[in-house]
Amino acid sequence: MGSGIWSTDVYDAAARYRAATGASAFAYSDSGATKTHHDLDPLGVTRESRDSAEHPQSVAIAVLFDVTGSMRLVPRALQAKLPQLLGLLLRHGYAENPQILFGAIGDATCDRAPLQIGQFESDNRMDDDLGKIMLEGGGGGQKTESYELALYFMARHTAIDCHEKRGKRGYLFIIGDEMAYSRLKHDEVKGVIGDTLAQDFTTSSVVREVQRKWDTYYILPEGSSYVGDSEVLDFWRALLGQNVIELADLDAVCETIALTIGLGEAAIDLDEGLADLQDVGSAAGTAVSKALATIGATRGELVVTEPPADLSGPSGNVRL
Amino acid sequence: MNHVIVVDLGYGDAGKGSVVDWLCSASRGYRTVVRFNGGAQAAHNVIRDDGRQHTFAQFGSGTFTPGVRTWLSRFMLVDPLALAAEAAHLASLGVTGALDLVTVDKDALLTTPYHRAANRARELARGGARHGSCGLGIGETASYALAHPAEAPRAGDCLAPRTLERKLKALREHLTDELGPLGPLGGPPLADLCDAYLAFAGRVKLADGADLRRLLRSGRVVFEGAQGVLLDEWRGFHPYTTWSTTTFANAEELLAEAGQSAVRLGVTRCYQVRHGPGPFVTEDPSLELPERHNGRNAWQGEFRTGHLDLVALRYAVEVTGGVDGIALTHLDVAEQHPELRVCRSYLVGGEPLTRIEPGPPHDLDHQQRLTSVLLGARPVLHEPPASWAEVVEAEAGAPVTLLSAGPAAAAKTERAFTRTAAPRNNIAEPAMS
Repeated sequence: MGSGIWSTDVYDAAARYRAATGASAFAYSDSGATKTHHDLDPLGVTRESRDSAEHPQSVAIAVLFDVTGSMRLVPRALQAKLPQLLGLLLRHGYAENPQILFGAIGDATCDRAPLQIGQFESDNRMDDDLGKIMLEGGGGGQKTESYELALYFMARHTAIDCHEKRGKRGYLFIIGDEMAYSRLKHDEVKGVIGDTLAQDFTTSSVVREVQRKWDTYYILPEGSSYVGDSEVLDFWRALLGQNVIELADLDAVCETIALTIGLGEAAIDLDEGLADLQDVGSAAGTAVSKALATIGATRGELVVTEPPADLSGPSGNVRL
Repeated sequence: MNHVIVVDLGYGDAGKGSVVDWLCSASRGYRTVVRFNGGAQAAHNVIRDDGRQHTFAQFGSGTFTPGVRTWLSRFMLVDPLALAAEAAHLASLGVTGALDLVTVDKDALLTTPYHRAANRARELARGGARHGSCGLGIGETASYALAHPAEAPRAGDCLAPRTLERKLKALREHLTDELGPLGPLGGPPLADLCDAYLAFAGRVKLADGADLRRLLRSGRVVFEGAQGVLLDEWRGFHPYTTWSTTTFANAEELLAEAGQSAVRLGVTRCYQVRHGPGPFVTEDPSLELPERHNGRNAWQGEFRTGHLDLVALRYAVEVTGGVDGIALTHLDVAEQHPELRVCRSYLVGGEPLTRIEPGPPHDLDHQQRLTSVLLGARPVLHEPPASWAEVVEAEAGAPVTLLSAGPAAAAKTERAFTRTAAPRNNIAEPAMS
């Protein structure tokens, strides 16, 4: 072939050669870290996406991915790919003032880092958060991970202006290949996030609450253990309906997320988005078009559900 | 030592990368890949059993196997900028520290952004008559070095800041003068380029021929060729060739210096492919074969496909001086495409032609005559064989020792050859174990 696919940017090259260790984007993880990086610790914190003079109409976007063993090499690929997301959104005008948060999901029953949560950032400082994510590679091997903890955090511990000021939900993408546990366990919430809940809650009630604030998507990528697994897909479809995306080509993950947001922001329709991809020479078109066929075709206004009974009312949170 | 040289017997894209990856997999035990021709324009795709994919340009295609090193010999045209980007992508796939595993011969020529800029300016001026260059400045690098051997920037110069700056400056001025009205010559500021190259020398190990000789005496090495024999600068169909010796010759030279020898392994698909313009007798635009990593690119033109050309294959084997074994790839595609045919002879002006006559060494007039013959030749196509391996073996006069039915190592099968093909030398068992 010989298309010269490797960048010959002189400044990138100099920086790469000078990087002290020649380390990857996974410096923290590869350094032998055994616990969540302090900056990503969800204990007792709330993450805020706020309007500013620079970014007057912020749109909150959160991408959380499963870092347990069943995902195999997917987390590493995501850690390397996701830095492109901001550029994609801006270049194509899919979202004008995106603020992006990255996070990682593990297994609270056995992992050292069951939940890692970065900050909402509107420039490439979000890359730093990605680099701090510890790739756990654990998990329990029973096709379930603690997605419900992450969903709970997003429901209760985020404050986003797009929703609070403009009644517009943020975009939440969960990338994984397993099911959530069926119940949110109050002792895990206490230990990981710090809230005191009177009892356990069903995961479906947590999902209903998070959907009030977040337009929530589940992405199941190829290359993970349970790709195409109907039990996993059915589980998430029962919770999220059409917002379950099977992604055939992991290389297309940023494009898929970007187009989903572009569709949601009504910045484009699916055909325009795919044409954009072609214009920039992206090979992702086929995978994205397949992944988004349902969403692009049937997307309508989302019904905002009432708060579920078992989670409404005073939350009983005790902030640490 | 049981070294092996892997060379593509066609126009490139036969699957060298996946063969080298397989050779370097843990069970086979080759620990170093030596590159001996071409440069950063190589694009050897490797897809691992675990789904990871990388297009190897300067790193050896065995790099996915932990600990496998790359040696860029003096015959390579090294692009330090692209090398850094390639290492970064490997890191994203979990192959960290790739830069620690690469050694560059100090005598290797550098392909710089100035070569690249000149290359592109000239190709653009050529318009429709493009040669199928990659647009990466390989030809510019080679021709400048031929004209100014002492002044051409080499990897070792990156250790000497003043020499490096002087050579790059001279190069830029020379190319600017040469381009004249086709200019101005693009590329980064001199100081910034020097800075990046010094950083390269601070990070990557630079060595000389004596180090390679030691290496060749101490462990088994895969020599990974780039491009293909039919694109060879002297044996390809002039002018549709590359600026590089694509046969076994360079590798044999390095081996001889160390008093070593190697098994010569030729690679061919069971059909024919070619990037860009030039003779392609068995081309069949109606074929629709899957091609995951090869598309059109602005500098090389269309990716073309056609039927297995045994006339060209025999020519390739003959001009390389023979092979000990053949790796036959893409058998999975042949399996799914019964429309694939086999070409044993051409028709030229109504007359059959079964042999492309090699000329004397270094005779480009002869090669140009071959080009005009081939451009007017029509293929005589036959039904696909029951066994592709047996046909290739019989026609090429060398045993098919490796069958590949897919990119991953798991799709490779070693084959005990069934008939006695005449081996080139006294290496009786071309099996690579």
